[in-house]
Amino acid sequence: MTTQNLTEPLKIGTIVRIRNSGYGPAKIVEFRGPLGPNGSRVYRVRVRKKPRPAYIEVVEDQLDPESADPVK
Amino acid sequence: MPSAALTRWQNDRMLRLGHMDAHCAALFAPAAPSFPPAAPVAPPSPPPLAHESLQGYTMLVSGHFQGFCRDLYTECAQLCAAAAPTTMRTKLQAQFAAALALNTGNPTHETIRKDFERFGFSLDLDGAAPGNSQCVTHLGHLNFWRNHVAHQKGSPPPTGVPTLLTLANIQVWRASCNRLAISLDDIMKQELGRILGVAPW
Repeated sequence: MTTQNLTEPLKIGTIVRIRNSGYGPAKIVEFRGPLGPNGSRVYRVRVRKKPRPAYIEVVEDQLDPESADPVK
Repeated sequence: MPSAALTRWQNDRMLRLGHMDAHCAALFAPAAPSFPPAAPVAPPSPPPLAHESLQGYTMLVSGHFQGFCRDLYTECAQLCAAAAPTTMRTKLQAQFAAALALNTGNPTHETIRKDFERFGFSLDLDGAAPGNSQCVTHLGHLNFWRNHVAHQKGSPPPTGVPTLLTLANIQVWRASCNRLAISLDDIMKQELGRILGVAPW
């Protein structure tokens, strides 16, 4: 069964924190669509990491937005 | 019921490709017969940018098929991650996303196999359904021409690959991608059922 997403997706560029992870602030770089369990939204986010940033795909309920406006 | 990725492929991506197909078909359609019939003449040459439209169609078929493969991989990865304890979830998601070939590479048979075999099985796309072997060959031809167009190469294709980019060829490649999409969806449904213990979709 698919749940309905009643709110607007988070915007690309929004700074978020990923719950239950050791990552610091991350930036949404792509909205992947309703590909999560029960149609939940999936986002591709970039996390700061040395020597180069890493990308991870997470569902919306794992994200806590930090910035109200997307950061370019 | 298909996956969300296959649903999007069938209800959105294939429809968009269908519009592009109709656009190209109109460009290469023979002129309407005149009345009274004129003296036989050579068929008209296609309008300017007709060949560029075929090139664009090739890129779109490859791009949308890559998009489908990425979507299906993400959907499967998220289902596996959701089944893990909360503290393990992000770690699994990070591993699934790391160095994913489909994020940057063409949707070749090798790329698809390499990424989907992360789920712990041997992907036999050729043998999954009758006719798949031919479809995999067509996928190779599509990716060859996709690169040929993207890099505007002037060298002739290798033996076995169509020497000309025609609408008929692209239509065959698109149909093959559709069959492979259905096959891959079915394979992953079975594999995730084995991994998770329940039907994933």
